[in-house]
Amino acid sequence: MSLFIERMINGLADGSIYALLALALVVVFRSTGQLNFAQGEIGTMGAFFVSTLTLTGLPVWLSIGLAMVLGFVVSAGVERVVVRPIEHRNPGAVIVALIGVFLAVNQAVAMIWGVDARNLPSVFPDDADDFVTIFGAPVRIARLGVIGVLVVVLFLLWLLFAKTKIGLGMRAVANNQESSNLVGIRVGSVLVLGWGLAGAIGVLAAAMLAPSAGLSGSLMLSPFLIASVAAVLGGLDSPVGAVVGGLLIGIVEAVIVGYVDFLGADMLMPVMLVILLGVLLLRPSGLFGSERVERV
Amino acid sequence: MDLPIRVARGSWQNWLGRAVLFGGVGLFMYRAVTEWSRSGLGLLADALIIAIAVTGLNLITGYTGQLSLGQAAFFAMGAFVSAMLVTGKIWTPFITDNIWTPGWTMLAAAVVCFLIGTVVGVPALRLKGIYLALVTLVFTEAVRAFFKYDRVAGVTGGATGIKGFSYLPPAWTGLEGRADLVTWFFWLSLGILIVVSILSAGLIRSRVGRAMVAVRDNETAAAVMGVNLFSIKTVVFGLSGAIAGVAGSLYALKLTLVEADVPIFGLFGSVTFLVAMVVGGAAQNWGPFVGAMFYVFVNDFARSVGEDPSGSIFLGWLVDEGTKIDGLGGVTFGVLLILFARFVPFGAVGTMRMWRSKAVLVVPRVPLGAGGAPSAEVLGEAGAVGPDQAATNIDRAEPPGLADDDPPGMAT
Amino acid sequence: MSGDALLTVSGLTAGYGPVEVLHGLDFTVGEGEIVVILGANGAGKTTTMRAVSGMIPRHGSIEFAGSDISGSKPDAIVRAGVSQVPQGRGTFTDLTVEDNLLAGGYTLKGSVEEDLDRWFEVFPRLSERRDQKAGSLSGGEQQMLAVARAMMSRPKLLLCDEPSLGLAPLITKELFRVLGTLRDEHGMSLLVVEQNAGMSLALADRAYVLETGSIVATGTGDELLADDTIKEAYLGVVN
Repeated sequence: MSLFIERMINGLADGSIYALLALALVVVFRSTGQLNFAQGEIGTMGAFFVSTLTLTGLPVWLSIGLAMVLGFVVSAGVERVVVRPIEHRNPGAVIVALIGVFLAVNQAVAMIWGVDARNLPSVFPDDADDFVTIFGAPVRIARLGVIGVLVVVLFLLWLLFAKTKIGLGMRAVANNQESSNLVGIRVGSVLVLGWGLAGAIGVLAAAMLAPSAGLSGSLMLSPFLIASVAAVLGGLDSPVGAVVGGLLIGIVEAVIVGYVDFLGADMLMPVMLVILLGVLLLRPSGLFGSERVERV
Repeated sequence: MDLPIRVARGSWQNWLGRAVLFGGVGLFMYRAVTEWSRSGLGLLADALIIAIAVTGLNLITGYTGQLSLGQAAFFAMGAFVSAMLVTGKIWTPFITDNIWTPGWTMLAAAVVCFLIGTVVGVPALRLKGIYLALVTLVFTEAVRAFFKYDRVAGVTGGATGIKGFSYLPPAWTGLEGRADLVTWFFWLSLGILIVVSILSAGLIRSRVGRAMVAVRDNETAAAVMGVNLFSIKTVVFGLSGAIAGVAGSLYALKLTLVEADVPIFGLFGSVTFLVAMVVGGAAQNWGPFVGAMFYVFVNDFARSVGEDPSGSIFLGWLVDEGTKIDGLGGVTFGVLLILFARFVPFGAVGTMRMWRSKAVLVVPRVPLGAGGAPSAEVLGEAGAVGPDQAATNIDRAEPPGLADDDPPGMAT
Repeated sequence: MSGDALLTVSGLTAGYGPVEVLHGLDFTVGEGEIVVILGANGAGKTTTMRAVSGMIPRHGSIEFAGSDISGSKPDAIVRAGVSQVPQGRGTFTDLTVEDNLLAGGYTLKGSVEEDLDRWFEVFPRLSERRDQKAGSLSGGEQQMLAVARAMMSRPKLLLCDEPSLGLAPLITKELFRVLGTLRDEHGMSLLVVEQNAGMSLALADRAYVLETGSIVATGTGDELLADDTIKEAYLGVVN
């Protein structure tokens, strides 16, 4: 029983990271209908930045904060400089540009920080004896911390969207850009803000993942793919869906690794495929996604 | 002289123009074979193989509008099927020792991939856009995971893969065994690319091709007009998969080994094919070739910049001899992709056509039918328009109004 | 009508890409006036609305309340006091009725409670549905919502793009009555583009007729209603 709880908590912790990244993807998709291919790599870059800052002596929490600002700026820059001019001319070419950004950022990380893996300290107490006991299971504080971060981020996002004017603007732009223009919302600024926010969240996710997974250039490659699956599963325009999707996949992964011997960790993708197909064939827009009515 | 000069399609001037184009490319190929080094020729062969896979992708994504990130899965399946058959890992009682001759494995790869492709086409009936793209992407990674799976390692090679096979040039080619291996694969890839391109172009011009474009432009309207969505989506997915399977098969035979963990069998491969397609020009006959060439050679150039920056024009003055900058090649290529998407958003072929159309415009010949009206043949000749509303309709001099806010048709 | 017109448009040219839709329009809207631009499909009505609101590139002169807005961005134009009720309502379907109105007041600084209360009073049906998603409202209700939302920014000029489109005649009558009230009781000036000649000309103080991008006739609402060519072309009356 205690092993089960330990595994579930770990699953939720990993799931929280997927959920965070999926949230970032959804925030961008809702406002621009684009999937930010480079989201994971910007996160990786942020994580390396955290590493550099902590090595100069800054406390971890501050380094993460500053790295999140970097992630915000880079992501916002991508929207303004790369996506917007291209979307004007040919929306289909945006994918190619974002793949270019993916590649450039991924390799820039190698260029600046080299190709060797390194360690990233956790912002939570993470020594061998830093755990609590829940129902007899040893649960690392660091892992609980990650879940806690997700909860805090969700709360802050809720505050932003439901209670602030800017949040109202973002919801309006996500729903109808033309009408947003007509009521005087500066759509361009809202888009930049949305992308920037997603970038910051992506960096946060990476900073949460790196301490346990090790910090290397390929840190976010697999999580990005899984987070994309989570976002689609939940419905690409639903933040709630992103979180549910992320946590769900985290738990499925824990179950497969722990209890399904004949599959093993490497077979996560085939399982994902089956689940994805199962859900999407019943609800083609994801669990919580909204159906777009098409007028012919 | 009044520009643009109008040339009727099918006229001798049109054929002359085509001959010049093919002649130019042919000359290029001839020089490659006779003058290039083995590694250069090998790179060219790789580009041709990628072009084959992209031709398949162009059918399902470019012309039928179903965004597929699953091409790498079929590429991998083709590669593994070939490898497994050539090394006798699959039980085929009608073949001696179960060991197939390499040439036939390509056909087997095509058939297997076609069948699986049609099955993959079924979800496409329910899923649209990014949702479909993601499912195909997961499919790709799932296929790769399957080939790595240790419980089927006996057949698929598992984590270590399958090695130790080859495809030597047959005697009738006049080439000599191992020494001419690269040349053999060059000719083989070129030949198959030509065949696949001709078949693809033929398909696009046919009624099926028009149905494909109708599905891309407005699925509901197409269905209402009698297009069988099920048939089109499954068959075209099957065809595109089969073509990718042949490409994968070539890839495996050329490399003489298959291993599940290589990037081209996964997300990276699917993305490569998509980028090559868009960069070359979606829904263009020459798009896959141009896109693949761009991808392979520009990538190679970028890599060489990274390995020896002091030699390059841009950075030579900044950097000392002998320094190597990790990742510079990748950053260069990434930036080039961004610049390309920004300044050549409709792909190389689409944009080149646009420019050429300012000088020479190919117009449909208008054979008159019984009533003096343009015959039905001609009405289907207007040419496919790229999925990204590219200026590929050769009767227009520039892309349809993609003005800042609204597409035409919303004006009242 | 006092002194200089509130909105003066001269030589307005606009289009989409290589296609020019408006070929140099001249029209004005005075204070406290309802001006109707009548036009069939394809005449350029929505293009005109888009041009005035700054949504598409345009050439020519557009003067509003003494300042030149021909080069201004959409949000600046809203702040200057021009608000649009777009064609097809354009409500924020995923947002509640109340949020729609709050979005309408986006450009206002400070509290918008009073404005919110005022417009809920003018449109009591909206008040009943204030927490419902806008997408679940009927066509007529959404049209009222779109009008109320546009009014939230405290405009001086209201642009209405085919407000009667898709609405039953009874609802349209009510809608036009509301538009009239805006002029009479709230001091608004309105520019309405419409296909529905009968009701809109009855409401209008002045009107223009737009045909394929050019203005071909102008007069008071009554004059045009009585005109034979107009009657034939837009009212289906055969002489």
